[in-house]
Amino acid sequence: MKEKNTTVFVVDDDEAVRTSLKLLLRSVGLPVETCVSAQEFLDRFDAERPGCLVLDIRMPAMSGLELQERLNAMHAMIPVVFITGHGDVPMAVEAMQHGAVDFIQKPFRDQDLLDRINQALEKDRDNRAGLRERDNIRARIADLTPREKEVLDLVAAGKANKVIASDLEVSQRTVEIHRARVMEKMRASSLAHLVRMVIAAGEDTPN
Amino acid sequence: MPAGLRARLDLQAVLDAAVEAVILIDENGIIETFNRSAERLFGWTAAEVHGKNVSLLMEGADRVGHDGYIKRFLNTGEAKIIGIGREVPARRRDGSVFPAMLAVGEVQQSSPRRFVGFLHDITLRRQAEEAARQSEARLNHFARLSTMGEMAAGLAHEINQPLTAIATFSQAATRMLSRPEGIEREDLSEALDQITAQALRAGEVIRRLRAFVKNREVCHERVDCRRVVEDSRLLLEADARSNSVQLRLQVADSLPSITADPVQLQQVLINLVRNAIEASADVPGAHREIILSASLDGEGMVEVAVADHGHGLSTEAAERLFHPFFTTKPGGTGLGLVISSSIIRAHNGRLAYRSTPGGGCTFFFTLPPLGVLPGVESH
Repeated sequence: MKEKNTTVFVVDDDEAVRTSLKLLLRSVGLPVETCVSAQEFLDRFDAERPGCLVLDIRMPAMSGLELQERLNAMHAMIPVVFITGHGDVPMAVEAMQHGAVDFIQKPFRDQDLLDRINQALEKDRDNRAGLRERDNIRARIADLTPREKEVLDLVAAGKANKVIASDLEVSQRTVEIHRARVMEKMRASSLAHLVRMVIAAGEDTPN
Repeated sequence: MPAGLRARLDLQAVLDAAVEAVILIDENGIIETFNRSAERLFGWTAAEVHGKNVSLLMEGADRVGHDGYIKRFLNTGEAKIIGIGREVPARRRDGSVFPAMLAVGEVQQSSPRRFVGFLHDITLRRQAEEAARQSEARLNHFARLSTMGEMAAGLAHEINQPLTAIATFSQAATRMLSRPEGIEREDLSEALDQITAQALRAGEVIRRLRAFVKNREVCHERVDCRRVVEDSRLLLEADARSNSVQLRLQVADSLPSITADPVQLQQVLINLVRNAIEASADVPGAHREIILSASLDGEGMVEVAVADHGHGLSTEAAERLFHPFFTTKPGGTGLGLVISSSIIRAHNGRLAYRSTPGGGCTFFFTLPPLGVLPGVESH
């Protein structure tokens, strides 16, 4: 079920909470690494490593929310599960608005936390798959001739062959040939599929 | 009328009109004169006490020791009260005791020697002082409760932390026990040790919290500054964390002890740190650090300081800092610094502020050290 090298990163300034989470995750066989501060996590952060982040919302120096903000600014896509105190609901709402997978209030049932962590790890796998897919699409686009690229852009913009032919000052037949080559090179099964790929290729991070 | 008689009548009129009780005794302590005020004050008539020893108006040690005081004074001239005046307990005819201010003088050129005492009842003054003291204690207690009210959410969090750790450790331990590949004894033992430690940690927060909010008599005792600073830190930790402020302690080694009421000092410290946390709220992360220090200053006074790296004080705030009801906090009472300052004054110390090097504000108070050598007392 879990991917190779997947790691749960735990960031909490409270040593006891940190250690308890480490033992809990180890007891279910999840590889875990802990950080005492948001800064330490940032210093060690490697976007290539798959996993998820279990983040305390309240911490001295850099809070959990600030770390989330920094990660978002870096377009880091590591999914975050926040752990919060009782009075932190407004902060938790903010965290969710900024893309957190979920939050859980302390103290928590271990299964509730583990469910959220698994959900986050799944999201990370999907993200990474999406990212690989995007890179593939980009590679296919890069493989098109300049003329094919022009046709692709116009097709994706929703223009009919006749219009494209007049825009490019070529025959409609020529457009049809280019278009067939584009569909083939892009491995598009339909026009809708082609359009989705063009959109996906243009995004910074897959959703 | 013979001049002698006139003088006696004049004297009697003066004595009877006097507001103070006036009592004349001889060198054996026998009462010779007892004016109207004395009659009203003690409930004896002059006739009843004439020829009696003045000690019957006294209470406690004075009642048995008075004859000795006179003898010693006659022999050595060493005055215990003559020309000095002091507060003494006095005893009415019905046996009730009241505080009196007594001044005693010797009648000049009198043989045998005689002494005159003037006294008045200071019960009302004592009551007023006591009432003032109590209302100050109530105000201080109210301020502590209100501080704790403001800090309640944070303190709940501070107790929630160990509870979270306990719940997680025990759930981890349960999972370890049911693991098919067997138990890591080391992990299990760590989990159990931590459960104990965290339960004690939660108890400690509650203990200090109770000590802080308890309504109690002011009690000056020998105090170790490090202890006060550390106790305060425990109560402030949550507040600091929820504002993402780092609280750092710098306590000099071998600080002399001081004489103080530890709860009141803690009250001052908590107040200053909470102000500092507020001042640090809108500065960049790296500057959200508060240093709580205790050290000896250049004049040998114990200095406890709270340094922040906030924006410093506005001119308006600086001017009105110690005015009652001036506050920059929503829901603040505006009494924090006023009360803090009066607490420190009552400890013969001084509360003031200066700029923090590199920006921000440092509030500090200095207190006289207990008369011990530095290094004798360490935590």
